[in-house]
Amino acid sequence: MKKNIILLFALGAMIIGFAACEKTAKDLTPPVIDEAGFLPADCDIYYLGDTIQVHFVCSDDTELGNFNIEIHNNFDHHTHGTSSVDCDGEEGDDHHHDGDEEHEHEHEAVEGAWVFNQDYAIVRGLSSDTVDIAIPVPADVLEGDYHFMLRLTDRAGWQTLKAVAIHLHNPNE
Amino acid sequence: MYILTILSAVLLSVLTGMPVDSSSLRLEEVTVTAVHRHSSPITSQSSVEVPAEQLKEQLQSSLAQSLNGIAGVQASSIGSGQARPAVRGMGFNRLAVVHDGIRHEGQQWGDDHGLEIDRFAIDHIEIIKGASALLYGSDAIGGAVVLSTRGRGAMYEDAKPIGGSAQFFARTNNKLFGASARVEGVKKIPSDQVPHTKEGTFYWRVNATYQDYADYSVPTDSFEYYSYRIPLYKRTLRNTAGREADGSLTLGYTTGSWHTCLRVYETWARSGFFANAHGLEVRLSDIDYDRSDRDTDLPRQEVNHLKVLWHTAYSHDHWGVEVNAAWQHNLRLEESEPVSHGYMPTPPDTRERQFSKHTGTLHALAKWNVAARHTLRFGLQGEVQHNRRSGWGFIIPDFEQYSAGLFAAEEWRASRTLTVNAGVRYDYAHMDIHAYRDWFPTPVGDTAVYQERSAAIARNFHSFTWSAGLRYADKGWLVRANIGKAFRTPIAKELGTDGINYHIFRYEAGNTDLQPEESYQADLSVAWENEYVRVQVDPFAGYFPNYIYLNPTAEYREGLQLYRYTQAQVVRAGGEAMLTVRPWRHMDISVQGEYLFARQLSGDKKGYGLPFSPPWRVMPELRFHWETPLVHRTSLPRPSLGYAAINFRVCGAQRDIVPPEKPTDGWWTLNLSAGQKFHLSSCELSISLKADNILNTKYYDHTSYYRLIDIPEAGWNISVMAGVEF
Repeated sequence: MKKNIILLFALGAMIIGFAACEKTAKDLTPPVIDEAGFLPADCDIYYLGDTIQVHFVCSDDTELGNFNIEIHNNFDHHTHGTSSVDCDGEEGDDHHHDGDEEHEHEHEAVEGAWVFNQDYAIVRGLSSDTVDIAIPVPADVLEGDYHFMLRLTDRAGWQTLKAVAIHLHNPNE
Repeated sequence: MYILTILSAVLLSVLTGMPVDSSSLRLEEVTVTAVHRHSSPITSQSSVEVPAEQLKEQLQSSLAQSLNGIAGVQASSIGSGQARPAVRGMGFNRLAVVHDGIRHEGQQWGDDHGLEIDRFAIDHIEIIKGASALLYGSDAIGGAVVLSTRGRGAMYEDAKPIGGSAQFFARTNNKLFGASARVEGVKKIPSDQVPHTKEGTFYWRVNATYQDYADYSVPTDSFEYYSYRIPLYKRTLRNTAGREADGSLTLGYTTGSWHTCLRVYETWARSGFFANAHGLEVRLSDIDYDRSDRDTDLPRQEVNHLKVLWHTAYSHDHWGVEVNAAWQHNLRLEESEPVSHGYMPTPPDTRERQFSKHTGTLHALAKWNVAARHTLRFGLQGEVQHNRRSGWGFIIPDFEQYSAGLFAAEEWRASRTLTVNAGVRYDYAHMDIHAYRDWFPTPVGDTAVYQERSAAIARNFHSFTWSAGLRYADKGWLVRANIGKAFRTPIAKELGTDGINYHIFRYEAGNTDLQPEESYQADLSVAWENEYVRVQVDPFAGYFPNYIYLNPTAEYREGLQLYRYTQAQVVRAGGEAMLTVRPWRHMDISVQGEYLFARQLSGDKKGYGLPFSPPWRVMPELRFHWETPLVHRTSLPRPSLGYAAINFRVCGAQRDIVPPEKPTDGWWTLNLSAGQKFHLSSCELSISLKADNILNTKYYDHTSYYRLIDIPEAGWNISVMAGVEF
């Protein structure tokens, strides 16, 4: 009986040994969004009815997943952790870095403010990609400060976020 | 209908009177033997016992945290007041917490949900490392924490008619203060007062605990989160304060062969969530979190747990029966500031999520000494769960779950030293999940749709499990070996959820096709001891053909990353080792360690480990202890029993991560503890001191809820406890 148990454990150890030696290329790093050439840039100004030209290069050490672009108002001047700034001239209060939670924000829905939220697929098998998208800005939304938010996954399920502060201006005013 | 079926089956099994003997059946409360015995009748299982004295020394504010110093047991902290227990890395619904014979049922699936049990009302803990499905059914797939309340030793024989204890405690780190009191008594009832019975004993016990704590301190002024600095006011985590009030009552009556008791437990706790950790930004909030470190602002949680338990047992020469019936009500409220998100308008109130869960349980156990060396055990367990949600945030649907299990186990005392046991179990569960639709419309094309977040699902689950083991004890050796199959019924969240989890900002999708999770596990425990040395090694290995796992995918849904429940083959192995050397009768040098390995063998995350996997850990300790004879002649307090210890906790790095986890560096902390008891003529005084993390080391616990957002564990802390027992 005891021998059987010992055998069983030897078997268990073998399984583990096998599993440990298994050379699965494991992706342990999130995808990367290039800072260089990223558009829109912080504090860019767009007119209502205009088009936001999105351009960025992203890569992953194994395989890219998908991305999502969300644009929401920043009328209350909150700040995102990933490089989004309070642009000059905005009336951000001076403690805007106080305990801002990067991960995600809940935004005050303002009547007439623009909400854009779109998922995009990246062709399977790419480890780097250059994305160019034109997002038309509706003519009938409120002007003001907005945040442009990019979320990018890789095939393994890691996610990278990037937020950019932009300004929408009404050309008729 | 199900209840009736279960009830009648239980009655039937009791009435047909399974023969048994008087000595066991978890009747320790009645028999009160001098020898310390296993709580679990399956004696071949690898287990760790934590007696009351050891539990007291821990001076932790929650039960789970008190267990953290045991190799193979982890406590994942959820702020400072509460913690979630895990055995060999298995927590949530993979660990059964059995409280006085009944499985504790709360919302144990939640990352940030603690254990709603008063630690001061618990007298004895046994941790069963390894699957215990045979006795405890679903959820015991990763092990069991068996909590029991017992009277003081020999309470029914020579106990004082009335006695009690009181403890006062404080912690510096979160400015906690608290008190716990217990009063208990016995009354002998001579047989002439109760017709047709032997002399009986009536006993009672009342427990009450209260604690109040402030925000806890961490050894840092700020922390980095995605290259973003979040400053901390006075090095405290804002809004992690809380309070807890617990009470319990026991009334019992026993004769030599009969024992019946009624227990009522009530636990209430309220604690804040660190305001930056719940998808809620402080800047948008009008709340001045730094106003006070003792208040619990939004977001916060409040939990009420009521448990009523009735236990009756009868034992005869060769047989015995035991029936446990219980009802539990777990009421959990999670409040957040009402903020609109996406298409959800601003909610009307702060009630983000509320869960009201009723659980009715009925257990019948019978034991029969068939022959001199053979004992048979039978068990029948029925449970009904009824869960209702409310509030504007959806995470799990309403459901009802009916389950019944039947087991038979045989114990064969092959020789004086060797015991062999084997058992089989069958379980049936029926799950009824209700449909849920958003309370607000979402524009889809040209129309507005109240999106369905959970479909109505009815599922039946069957499981057949077994286990076998042996126990060999001779000349200082204790060898326990066990092999078995265990299972877990998928929970409503895993089957039915389909929507945004606003707490962690991801889209979670359940999987209605999930099969019951199964595991095959072998564990071994080899211990040897003499007067000077004790050594124990507990290895284990297990295989899950279909481990249920919330898999982060590359997809987006409604603007958020999609996490989907899937099943994958998983292999796990590891173990614990303990060595104690006693070079001098007043000194113990000990070291214990644990290691765990997990690998997914199939599916999307093939090659990865499992989330919240604890890294290796080693805990060396040097301990002095002394005992002086009791002296009752003077009224001055005399030291009778004391200890002083220095303890290191060394934890390895965890690089074996799964998205979205981050690698965690290794760390070590230095801890000191000391205590002394004093005997007075009529009572006993005790004082204990404990200093945790005295070097104020900044470290991260890979299994902690706040690890994902880079918040370090608590800084240095001194705990003091003074107690009196009369």
